[in-house]
Amino acid sequence: MKNRKLQRVLALGLLAVMVLALAGCNKKDDGDIKNFTMFIAMAGSEINDDNEIQQIIAEKTGVKVKETWLTGQTAAEAVGSIIAGGDYPDFIDGGDGMMALYDEGVLVPWDEYLDKYPNLKEMYSDKEWDSFRQEDGHIYWANVFQNTYGENRATTHNDEAFWIQVRVLEWAGYPQIKTLDQYFDVLTRFAEANPTFKDADVIPYTALCEDWKYFCIENAPEFLDGYPNDGSVIVDASSGTPTIVDYNTTPTAKKYFQKLNEQYLAGNIDIEFATQTYDEYIAKLSTGRVLGMCDQWWDFAYTVNDVFKQQGLDKLGCNYVPLGLTIEEGMENRWHTYDDTLNNSSGVAVTTSCKDIDAAFKFLNDILDQEIHDLRFWGVEGVDYLVDEDGMYYRTEEMRTKCADPAYQASHLCNYSYMPQWLGTSHDGKNAMQPNEQASEFFDGLAEPLVKCFEAYNADSYPDMIGSVVEHNQPWFPMYSFSNAMTTDTPGGKAWVKMGEVKHEWLPRVVMSSNFESEWNAYMDAYKAANPQNFLDEMQQELNRRVEAAAE
Amino acid sequence: MKAKRISWKELKNQKFLLICTACFVVYGIIFYYLPLGGWIMAFQNYKTKDGFFDSQWVGFEKFKFLFSDATFLRVIRNTLAMGVLNLVCTFVMAIVFAILLNEVRLAIGKKFVQTVSYLPHFLSWIIVTGILHDALSSSGIINELLVKLGILDTPINFFAHKGYFWPIVAFANVWKETGWNAIVYLAAITSIDPSLYEAATIDGAGRWAKIKNITLPGIRPTIMILLIMNIGNVLNAGFEVQYLLGNGLVKSVSETIDIYTLTWGVSQNDFSLGTAAGIFKSVVAIILIVAANQFAKKTGEQRLF
Amino acid sequence: MKKHHKMKTGIGDKIFVVCNTIFLTAFVVITLYPVLNTVALSLNDGVDAVRGGIHLIPRMFTLKNYQTVLNQKNIITGAYITVARTVLGTVLALITNALLAYVVSRKKFVFRSQLSLFWVITMYVNGGMIPTLILYRNLGLTNSFWVYIIPGMIGAFNMLVMRTYMEGLPDGLEESAQIDGAGDFRIFVSIISPLCKPVYATVALFVAVAQWNSWFDAMLYNRMASEYTTLQYELMKLLNSVMQQGGTANPGSTAQAAVTPMTVRAAATVVTMLPIICLYPFLQRYFVTGMTIGSVKE
Repeated sequence: MKNRKLQRVLALGLLAVMVLALAGCNKKDDGDIKNFTMFIAMAGSEINDDNEIQQIIAEKTGVKVKETWLTGQTAAEAVGSIIAGGDYPDFIDGGDGMMALYDEGVLVPWDEYLDKYPNLKEMYSDKEWDSFRQEDGHIYWANVFQNTYGENRATTHNDEAFWIQVRVLEWAGYPQIKTLDQYFDVLTRFAEANPTFKDADVIPYTALCEDWKYFCIENAPEFLDGYPNDGSVIVDASSGTPTIVDYNTTPTAKKYFQKLNEQYLAGNIDIEFATQTYDEYIAKLSTGRVLGMCDQWWDFAYTVNDVFKQQGLDKLGCNYVPLGLTIEEGMENRWHTYDDTLNNSSGVAVTTSCKDIDAAFKFLNDILDQEIHDLRFWGVEGVDYLVDEDGMYYRTEEMRTKCADPAYQASHLCNYSYMPQWLGTSHDGKNAMQPNEQASEFFDGLAEPLVKCFEAYNADSYPDMIGSVVEHNQPWFPMYSFSNAMTTDTPGGKAWVKMGEVKHEWLPRVVMSSNFESEWNAYMDAYKAANPQNFLDEMQQELNRRVEAAAE
Repeated sequence: MKAKRISWKELKNQKFLLICTACFVVYGIIFYYLPLGGWIMAFQNYKTKDGFFDSQWVGFEKFKFLFSDATFLRVIRNTLAMGVLNLVCTFVMAIVFAILLNEVRLAIGKKFVQTVSYLPHFLSWIIVTGILHDALSSSGIINELLVKLGILDTPINFFAHKGYFWPIVAFANVWKETGWNAIVYLAAITSIDPSLYEAATIDGAGRWAKIKNITLPGIRPTIMILLIMNIGNVLNAGFEVQYLLGNGLVKSVSETIDIYTLTWGVSQNDFSLGTAAGIFKSVVAIILIVAANQFAKKTGEQRLF
Repeated sequence: MKKHHKMKTGIGDKIFVVCNTIFLTAFVVITLYPVLNTVALSLNDGVDAVRGGIHLIPRMFTLKNYQTVLNQKNIITGAYITVARTVLGTVLALITNALLAYVVSRKKFVFRSQLSLFWVITMYVNGGMIPTLILYRNLGLTNSFWVYIIPGMIGAFNMLVMRTYMEGLPDGLEESAQIDGAGDFRIFVSIISPLCKPVYATVALFVAVAQWNSWFDAMLYNRMASEYTTLQYELMKLLNSVMQQGGTANPGSTAQAAVTPMTVRAAATVVTMLPIICLYPFLQRYFVTGMTIGSVKE
């Protein structure tokens, strides 16, 4: 009897082992296809293992890359534990952990491969490539975003703005909204007249404060003063010599937060704004009950617009359009960046753990081939897009809806979104590199309320809506590429971390305070204790360096 | 204490036990004692590329930094405060629950309540914090109730106020573990001599009086030993709960030593500082448990070892 | 006089019973409501649920959420691995812990107290996350299934629970076996183990619950090996599907992060907790016995 018991236990164990063996077996064995891994220190959706386009790309290039995204940890924690464990993926985009990876000496220099692989080389000019060089003179990563091939095709405002639902504008008779006061006035009047949407209470305004995405509440003062997105500081060039200005302490900052405070106390701002996670925030926007917020387009629009399309909310005017607000009326605004923004502080890198480094670079090169690039962003011809007699790509309404479906995206589409890619015009000189920039796609894809709104404001696209000053980037732009790469080894870097901590805690408190003046003063005291001057000094040094470098 | 002579014969007879011991010791050394070697990192400026041998030695510098860092001191405060609060709340609740449940005469009702009470223990913190987060959100059940009962005019955001954080964590612990912890007390209560209750009934004692005079003294030894066992865990106030429920606004009250270790040790790549914080925690835990044990010895209560 | 006294306690007792009933009812409601609410949400239409106001009964019944969850390949892989690690991990941990407990419970064993102390120390001292990570990597345990099983085979606490129970067994049984010429292993298998059923069940439950609920190890050690993901880790991903923290702003990133409707999350939560909820009432008898060992000395 005892033996039988033992046998049972053993049998159970054996069964488990078999289950495992099976689990272990159903991988590998892809013939000649090389399997690489990639870790991206950003949240993202995993695609299925048997994703169709990934398979097609694998057959054409001989390489398949399994992407793993950030979950349950911050980027720095994830990169830190990867470094500690010493198990590196083949490709990595470490976000603000790039410097840590470089310091660790685990990244492979790109230099020799750039000469070997023309598509890669073509991504940037020599001067731009130079800006990626680290202290030791080598290039270890390339940023893959905001890089235009040929003619610029931008139709969206891929930047920050105060956004407003088109149904609010329609209701208000498409008024001109230029200042914060006018903005909140429209939002609150609309909310009073239409307190619910689809049975849920409308939220006139919300703001995201989570981790680094608190820029949604934090950096509006720089734009409200009419400056472009240098991110961490204002660069004031009005006196001739560019000078760093701290936007956290300007009168505009105070006015802006006072306005938020007033609106919060009046019940017009989401009471969960300070504690909501990015996920909750996106879910809230997706219901269509949030009338407005301040955010970057790329931070919400791709996901939220897909949901609107799926749920038919776009037909009800839930889509957001950007407003070029300034603190006073009649100021110029620089919310929109017309040129490419070169953020050299992070990007895709190949690690020394990679078994076949040459194949890895070859793959980075291959996926820039127009054919593969089309597969990544347009999909399969005849299935995901059609070609008319002029050679222009287009999608039917059905295709558009399908491509917005998360299940379809997981099983069929594969855009290797953190790998080298282009914006702008395709090599054929006609089409856009990415569908959302194809003019016909853009207009055909617009829901009726959006079209009416654009007409009312005499705009052809989102950038027209916001009406920023048309100008080229300054040579030092963007300053955030420097602050992003700061480490706590310098006094400025330490101050930068501390300032962030102070602002994370105090900005929501200031907004929620019942006594604005005293709370603001307490915030200012805490802020000064973080020694922001150390940070500003280092930023000024870098600014001077960049100005000089540009003059050479 | 007297040194025992070990004869060869004895060893030979215990061959099986010795072989097992050898295996267990090897296993223990590999998985538990070898990582302790990592403690050297606390005295180095450890860099992974240099390894243990080539990293720079810095002596007690990391510890010095630790105790001069206002954040670390605050983190100790948070850990202790939440640890004590959790300990007290879960203890009191488990005892109260056990006593009250014991007073239930209806057998099926008792069984049902008890079975339900274990349930949360089996749920992971991910699930528990998820549920709690939803319940306390502005459209959650708690706000809905408070507004309906007229206690609040408008929903409040519980996670935005520092004052609520510790109680929320304590509540989460109570919710999860009350039923489970009560098992021991319930068993202890059943082992109390029933004749004591009979005698009390004859004397005309009410239920309260019986609880106060018989039940509570009866389970006193159990309470004491569990208290001692748990005191060493005060610094384990938690990681997951705070990690999953915290946010920027309440960070100054939500961060515990474990989270501090994680942020410095892993995010800022200062493994040495993280390890130093970990050592501090281990040392305090040992001191606490030994002290509690000594205290128990003195007062004549049961001891752990 | 006596009558009066009795009446007084009678009323007191009645009040007590009423209060007690209220308290315990509240307790049950507070414990059960969130769980039932999650179940109700998981059975409700996603868009409709956003309106709020769903308590115990779904308003627009649907099984679509479960369909969505069960169609996720990762969740199926996770379930597979979780079941495997729970079964294998529990069986192995049970065998090793029992053996160790047996060894240290042998009163005549020469190194008994040393071995005991050797393990008790591990309860309070550990090397921390980073050295452990480095060790596992050097042992080749990272990016493998075995990292879930091998490091957790012995837990000092579980061992102590078993030891206490074994020490409480009458000595006579074993002595007679020894006279019959049975060796230590035979005594362990055929005399001690059958008597230890309750404590084995308890420890098995401890280990199984821990195995079932763990996600941190999947994240830390098998980040790049998604074929070894676990159910809780997948749940974690779903619950935080677009939680982005501590990165660099990447203007122009086209990565899409799908929003997980709360009903789908509820469904995932139910899927994850269901097996354990269904099982534990049947194991109650065992873990209650096991938990009480050592705490109550007769």
